[in-house]
Amino acid sequence: MNPLLPGGAGATSDGTFGGVVSYGNRVRDMHPLNVAVVLACISLLALVTPRPVGLVAGCVAFLGLAVAAGVGVPFARLYAKLLLGVGLVLFVLRAAFADGNQVLFEWGPLAPTREGVRDGTDFALTVMVLCGALTLYFALVPMKTLMLALELRGMPPQATYILLASFQAISDLSRSARVVMDAQRSRGIETEGNLWVRAKAFLPVLAPVFITALNQTEERAVALDARAFNSGIPHTHLLQLRPTPTWERAATTLVAAGCLATIGVRLLWT
Amino acid sequence: MSTQSLISRYGRLTIFMIPIGIAINFVGGQLALLLKLPVYLDSIGTILVGALCGGIPGALVGLISNGINSITSPPTLAFGVLSVIFGLLAGWLGKRGVFTVFWKTLASAIPFALIGGVLGALITLWVFGGLAVGGGALVVGALMATGMDVTTANFVAQVPMDFLDKVPTVLAVFVVLRGIPRRIYAKLPLGEVYLRARGVTPAPAFTASRPAPGGQM
Repeated sequence: MNPLLPGGAGATSDGTFGGVVSYGNRVRDMHPLNVAVVLACISLLALVTPRPVGLVAGCVAFLGLAVAAGVGVPFARLYAKLLLGVGLVLFVLRAAFADGNQVLFEWGPLAPTREGVRDGTDFALTVMVLCGALTLYFALVPMKTLMLALELRGMPPQATYILLASFQAISDLSRSARVVMDAQRSRGIETEGNLWVRAKAFLPVLAPVFITALNQTEERAVALDARAFNSGIPHTHLLQLRPTPTWERAATTLVAAGCLATIGVRLLWT
Repeated sequence: MSTQSLISRYGRLTIFMIPIGIAINFVGGQLALLLKLPVYLDSIGTILVGALCGGIPGALVGLISNGINSITSPPTLAFGVLSVIFGLLAGWLGKRGVFTVFWKTLASAIPFALIGGVLGALITLWVFGGLAVGGGALVVGALMATGMDVTTANFVAQVPMDFLDKVPTVLAVFVVLRGIPRRIYAKLPLGEVYLRARGVTPAPAFTASRPAPGGQM
C-alpha cells in the first residue's frame, strides 16, 4: 500500500468515512489550512534562526513531521532526490563559482573559496527548507482536500476547478502523449537517433495530443454545464472536512504565536 | 480579476482552456525530455491559450504552471513574472493576427526569446546572484570557469538558449492553431481572428454578442 495514499483503519480507498476525509492519523487529519500554518511557521523559524543550524533543524523537523504523519519513507525518498537534484547542484555551483578571498584549493579553472562554500551551504539549505515545506504539504494534504477547504472559505468553484482540473489534465495528457508516441513510432516516425531526427518527431507527437485535448474542452464544458456547474446557487460536495477539534485549533494558534514571537525577538535583537 | 468577471469577459470555454494550457506546458516539457531535445518547450500552453483566449487567461496559465513547478523546485517561483509576460504578449500578438501567418509566427519568437533571455538573466542576477538552478546554471558555471564574469556569462548563456527554445515553441503553437476546428474557434474570445484568416466572415451577431462570444454554451 502506498503510504502517501489514505488508508487508516476503516478508511475507504479515497480517504473518506461516509464522505468525511479521515486518514486515522492526527497529523494527516488536521485541517489543510492549519497544516499550511504549521509548515509556514517551521519554515519561517528555520529562516530567521542562526544559519546553518536553523536551516538544518527545519529540514529535520519536516522529516520528523513526515514520520509522525506516517509518510516518513516516501517523503524521505522524495526529499533525498530533491537534495541531490536541486540542493547539491545549487551548493556545488555556488561553492565553485561564488567570489571569495580564502581559496580552499585549485583544480583547473575552479578555485572554491571558504565564502563560496558558506554561501552555497546557506543557499542550498534555504531552498531545501522551502522544498521541504511544499513537498511535505502536498504529501500530507491531497489537492482535492485543499481545494475543498478553500472553497468552504469562499474561493469560487471555478477557481478550484481550474487547479484540480490542471493536475488531472497533466496526468491525462502525459498518458495520451506516450500512447501517441508509441503509435507514431509504429508508423515509422523515428524518435531515436541524432538531434535533427528526434526534433522532427516532436510535432507529429505533440500536435495530435494537444489538438485532441483542446477539442475535449468543449465536451467538458457541456458536461459541467449539464450538472449546473455555473449556476449561482451553492454547490454540494462529495467530500466533507472533519470538524476541527479544539486541541488542533489551540496547537496551531500556539505554533503561530511562538513563531511570531521568535521573529519579533530576532528583529528586535538584530 | 474574479472568476465571474473572467467568465463574463472571456467566455466559459476559457475556464476550461486554462487547465489544458497548463497541462500542455508540462507535457511539452516532458516530450522534450523524452526526445532528449536540448530545449525546455514548457511555455507552449501559455502562448497557445494567450493566442486563443487573450492575455489574462494566457498569463493565468503561465502563473499557475509556474506555481505547480515550484512545488518541487522553489527557485522557479522567481521566474513566474516571465510566464505572465509570455501570456500577456501572446494575447496581444494573437489579437493582431500574428499567429495566423507563418512568417509572423516565426518572427514572434524574437520578442519571446528576448524577454525570456534578457529578463531571465536579470532575475537570475538580482535574485540568485547569477547562479540559479537547471541546465542554464551549468552553462553559466562553465562559462565562468573560462574566466567570463557572472553578468556576461548569464546573458551569453540565456539569450541564445531562449532563442533555441522559443522558435520550436511558436512553431508548435502555429501547427496546433491550424489544427483546431472552426466550431471551437467560434466559441473562443480571439477565435474571430483565426476564422477571418481562414476566410470565414463571422455573422454580425458573433461580434455584437460581446462580452463572452462563444462562451455561452
